[in-house]
Amino acid sequence: MAFSTILGAWIAAFLTLGILSYLYRDNPFYKIAEHVFVGVSAAYWAATFYWTQIYPNLFGRLFPKDGPLAFIAEVDFNHEFNVFYLFPLLLGIMMLLSIFKQFNWMARWGIAYTVGIAAGLKAYGYLSSNVLSQISASAVDIFSGSLPIFSMSGDSVFNNIVILIGTISALMYFYFSKEQTGSYGKFTRLGIYFLMISFGASFGFAVMGRISLLIGRFNDLILFSSSDYNYGTFWMMLFVVVVLGFWSFQNPEKKEG
Amino acid sequence: MKFLEDMILKFGSVDRRFIFLLIGLAVFIPLLRPIDLPIRTTPTTEKVYNAIDAIPANSKVLMSFDYGPSTKPEIHPMTLGVMRQLLRKDHQIYITCLWPDGLYMALDALDEINKEFDLVEYEDYVLLGFRPGNEAIVKGLASDLRKVYTVDAKGVMLADIPMMDGVNNLKDFQFIFTGSAGYPGTFEWVQYGGDPTGVPLSSGTTSIQVNEVMPYVQSGQVRGILAGMPGAAEYEKLIGTPGIAIQGMAAQSFAHLVIVLFIVLGNLAYFITERRERKY
Repeated sequence: MAFSTILGAWIAAFLTLGILSYLYRDNPFYKIAEHVFVGVSAAYWAATFYWTQIYPNLFGRLFPKDGPLAFIAEVDFNHEFNVFYLFPLLLGIMMLLSIFKQFNWMARWGIAYTVGIAAGLKAYGYLSSNVLSQISASAVDIFSGSLPIFSMSGDSVFNNIVILIGTISALMYFYFSKEQTGSYGKFTRLGIYFLMISFGASFGFAVMGRISLLIGRFNDLILFSSSDYNYGTFWMMLFVVVVLGFWSFQNPEKKEG
Repeated sequence: MKFLEDMILKFGSVDRRFIFLLIGLAVFIPLLRPIDLPIRTTPTTEKVYNAIDAIPANSKVLMSFDYGPSTKPEIHPMTLGVMRQLLRKDHQIYITCLWPDGLYMALDALDEINKEFDLVEYEDYVLLGFRPGNEAIVKGLASDLRKVYTVDAKGVMLADIPMMDGVNNLKDFQFIFTGSAGYPGTFEWVQYGGDPTGVPLSSGTTSIQVNEVMPYVQSGQVRGILAGMPGAAEYEKLIGTPGIAIQGMAAQSFAHLVIVLFIVLGNLAYFITERRERKY
C-alpha cells in the first residue's frame, strides 16, 4: 500500500480519536481536530469555489479567447464574451471591500442582490412544491370505494381520516385569534399530540442518524487497525490515551460548587 | 423493592461517560463479530426500487451526490446500490454534486463500482462534478445544463463528450436520484428539478431528514425514499447485494436497545425520586 494512503489512514484515525476524546472531556486533541476541520473546510471551499465557478463561469465569460478583454488574460472554456458578467464581478469585489471600514457600506449592495435573488427563488419553489402540492396531496378522497378500510402503511380510509384530522387540528393549534378553550381547545390539543408524535419520530430518526455515523467511524477505525495500515488505529489510540492520561493528571477536572 | 428502587436510582444518576462507553461497546462489538438480523423491506424503499426498475433500458439517469464524508456511512451504501441497479440495465449515469465533497464521494463510489462493472468513462457515466450555487444550480440544470456545466470534472468540454449529445436540460433525463444529507439536497431537487420538469425523482436521505421529506413521498413528488441506514440496508437486500449497510444494522439495533434501556431507567429514576420527595 502507498505511503500516502497509510499516512492518510493514520491522520484519519488520530482525528477521529481526537474528536471522540471530547466524550471524556474538553482537551487539546479535540481542539486540534476541531481547528483542523474548520481550517481545511474553509480552504477547501474557497479553492473549489474559485476553480469550479469563478474561474470557468465568470472569468471564462469575461476573458474568453478572441474576446475584447483577451489582452488582459485568456480563459478558454468555449464561452463567448458577455459584458453583463462585469456586474457580478463588481458586486463580488464590493462584498470583499467590507474588510475596509470606509468601504464596508458597499458590501450591502452585493448582500442585497443575493438576498433578493434567494428570496425570489425560494418563494417560487416553496409556493409551488410545499404549499400548493402539499395542499393538493392533503385533499384525499376519504371514503373512496377502491381503498381498504385499514392498512398499516399504504393508502386506506383510516389513514386518510388520520391525515385529515391531524392536518386540521395541527393547523388550528397555530390559529391564535380564538381562545383555545372548551371543545375547540380539546381539538387543538389533539393537534399538539400529532405534533409531539412527529417530534418524537424526528428525535428517533436523529438518534438513528448519529449511531449510523458512529458505525461509519468505527468501521474506518477497524479497517485502519489492520496490518495493511501498519496498525494505525492501535498506535494512534495508544498515543492519544497516554498523552490524554498525562494531561488529565496535570490538569485535574475542576469540581463544580 | 427498596433495593430495586435504589439500584434504579443509581443507574439514573450514572456518569454520562459510562453511558457513552456502553453505547460505544454496543456498536463496536457487533461490527467486530457480525450478527445476521432479519431485514424487512418497507414500502417506501420498495417504491424506490420499483421506480428505478421501471426505467426503460439504456436510459439517461442523473445522480446527484449531495453529501460528504460526515454522512457517508448512511448515504454511500444507497448511492452504490442505486448505481448497481442502474448499471445492470445498461443505463447511462450522469453525476452531479451540489456539495463540494460530493465529488470525492462520487469518485469513491465509481472506484468501488468499477470493480464489478468494468466501467467505461463517457460511455457508462459522465462525472460532471461540483458546481457551487445550491438551488440555483438545480434551477440552472432544469433550464440549460450547458450554462451550468461547460466542462466535466476532469475539465473536458461537454461538446467533446459523445454521451452528452442531446443532453441539454433535466427533461433529457428519464430519472433523477439524489443522495442527500441536507441543504442543498432533496428539497431543492423537488422544488426546482422534479416538480417543474416532471422528471421522476427518488431520494436517499439521512435519517434526520426523513420526517421532512416524507410529505413529498406521500404526495408522489418523490418516488419513495431510502431512509437512513435501515433504508440503505433494505435496498441492499432488494438488489441482492449485501453491503456495509446490512452489516451495520446489528450495531444499530444493539445501540438502540441500550438507549431505550437508559431512557426507561432515567424515567423510572425520575418518578421514584419525585415520589420519595413528595411530603404529602
